[in-house]
Amino acid sequence: MLASVERKVAISLLLISILYLVLSFQIPPFPYSIVDADALPKGLGFILVVLSIFLFIQNPIEDRKKSDLKKEEVLMLLAVAGLIFIYILLFELLGFVVVTILFLLVTSRILGYTKWKTLIAVSVGFTLVLYFSFNYLLQIYLPQGILPF
Amino acid sequence: MDTISNMLYGFQVVLTFQNILFVFVGVLAGTLIGMLPGLGPISAIAIMIPLSYGMDPASALILMAGVYYGAVFGGSTSSILLNAPGISGTVATSFDGYPLAKQGHAGKALAIAAISSFAGGTVSVVALMLVAPVMASFAVSFGPTEYFALMLLGLTAIASLSEGSTVKALISATIGLMIATIGVDQQTGTQRFTFGNPNLLEGIDFLIIALGLFALAEVCSLILSRKSKMMDGNSNVGSLRITRKEAKEISGPIARHSVLGFILGVLPGAGATIASFMSYITEKKISKDPSSFGKGNIKGLAAPETSNNAATSGAFVPLLTLGIPGSGTTAVLLGALLVVGVQPGPLMLTDHPDVFWGVIASMYLGNIFLLVLNLPLIPFIARILYIPKALLISLVIIFCMIGVYGVSFSTFDLYLLLAFGVIGFIMRILNFPAAPLILAFILGGMMEQSFRQALTISNGSYATFFDSTVTVVLLIISLLSLTLPIIKGKLGKKAEEKEDEHLAS
Repeated sequence: MLASVERKVAISLLLISILYLVLSFQIPPFPYSIVDADALPKGLGFILVVLSIFLFIQNPIEDRKKSDLKKEEVLMLLAVAGLIFIYILLFELLGFVVVTILFLLVTSRILGYTKWKTLIAVSVGFTLVLYFSFNYLLQIYLPQGILPF
Repeated sequence: MDTISNMLYGFQVVLTFQNILFVFVGVLAGTLIGMLPGLGPISAIAIMIPLSYGMDPASALILMAGVYYGAVFGGSTSSILLNAPGISGTVATSFDGYPLAKQGHAGKALAIAAISSFAGGTVSVVALMLVAPVMASFAVSFGPTEYFALMLLGLTAIASLSEGSTVKALISATIGLMIATIGVDQQTGTQRFTFGNPNLLEGIDFLIIALGLFALAEVCSLILSRKSKMMDGNSNVGSLRITRKEAKEISGPIARHSVLGFILGVLPGAGATIASFMSYITEKKISKDPSSFGKGNIKGLAAPETSNNAATSGAFVPLLTLGIPGSGTTAVLLGALLVVGVQPGPLMLTDHPDVFWGVIASMYLGNIFLLVLNLPLIPFIARILYIPKALLISLVIIFCMIGVYGVSFSTFDLYLLLAFGVIGFIMRILNFPAAPLILAFILGGMMEQSFRQALTISNGSYATFFDSTVTVVLLIISLLSLTLPIIKGKLGKKAEEKEDEHLAS
């Protein structure tokens, strides 16, 4: 079972290295250089080809570790990844403060935090402290979005 | 005499109100983040980088260095109290530290850890102060071939010393180098792998990779373990008192492992984790009563704790003098330095003496702060372990997001961050180590530059790599570091020993 996973990984890496090699051979030449910009990528592509072959043939039993994730855990990871994606999508549109407060509320709740009062206090407090310290102390301007300040 | 005046200069840099504050903030933040199981020094440093924007370089490095050794210090607390090491460098600490805590001597164990760390840290800062200038003056004569060979050695060493399969570590390193080729080629201006996307012209920022592969991937692991409690209700750590007899007993291991840890820290690829394990094993081997190890022997606690902090300072030697990081963590530190506009290397001593001596002087101060923070305040600081994971996870995600957005102000980079988080988590599941990837990525640009410079000077002749003895020796050692473990089939200790001999000679 584990061996087949390892082999699938090796095959995917081999495909990646071939794709990378194809792209390396398309790098336009520069007439005045002794070692051109494509030299290293080509070398790396071939190295990865060799390494993925090694990975394919090596005995994988030595690194056995817990690798079977439960279905609900995978769903939870996907949910958080999805929330991060939505966060980025709305980040500049709604502004840091609004999106961050919503993100903290929703994500912590989904992950199983149940105390609403603490959650609201932490989300709002943390977000405002971050926003004001970044914008006014560090002069790193986070998007203000729909808020007037 | 020269060293003393340089150190005085270093203290002059550090002993301003602002820099003292940064040392304090650094070690405090490092301790807190390092204590949280799952978040290591790499994430701690990466999360703190946005704070350093706009700081002067000396202050920025003082802050980051504080975070680094603070995190190593903090990691021991969760090892002892929870048997859940905050970072891999403190895994060995839990072997005897946790049994001590279970026997009701948590306070004593924490005190021993704090004192050993302080001693290890301080001794190795002295060594750093003495060794670094010598190394820098030696390295001034290095040409492109020597540099290339040295960086190659750094990479192969970390690959061969990584846990698990060497092939996987090498694949990680190769992928790191591949990612480093994205963007405009510095020497010819040719675009590589940008797919016409203007966001990729300058390549991928190292912070995205560091935060994605480490912090976000750690977030995934935290999500999976969110139901396990961080700490059970018992916060009573007991007395911190150490008897005179115990103090005498740990003085031997402390003296031995300050030196061993420092040397292992200087060597490329080793670092705090390997140093702490080596020290633990050595102490057990030379002990008259090896069977008491793992059951709460205070020597078994003092040895790795001394060693991991000594290794941390040791790791600054190649970073500051050669500009070459020997581990994933120092690679992120190097990235942080580049962000504030300092290129570490042999010329740093002359170009930025304030950064060089300032950071060394700050470590003396930082170690004192850590001792003060960790001894009387530990019961209070340990409360951070009560933060519910569900809350912690979402807060860490936000920190990562701001960190990346603050560099580029582009949401494209945030999507990249998410992608690297996913890649980092997949690598974890499949047992691909991430440290070689980040190290290779940081070294990639420099390696390529010295490689091509060397060949340009020699008009394309590869013989140039065999002209200098230093280069040849370095190349042979890197080859050995790779082939020996493969031939032996396992990560052989013999390979390590041979390599140590070579490096020491």
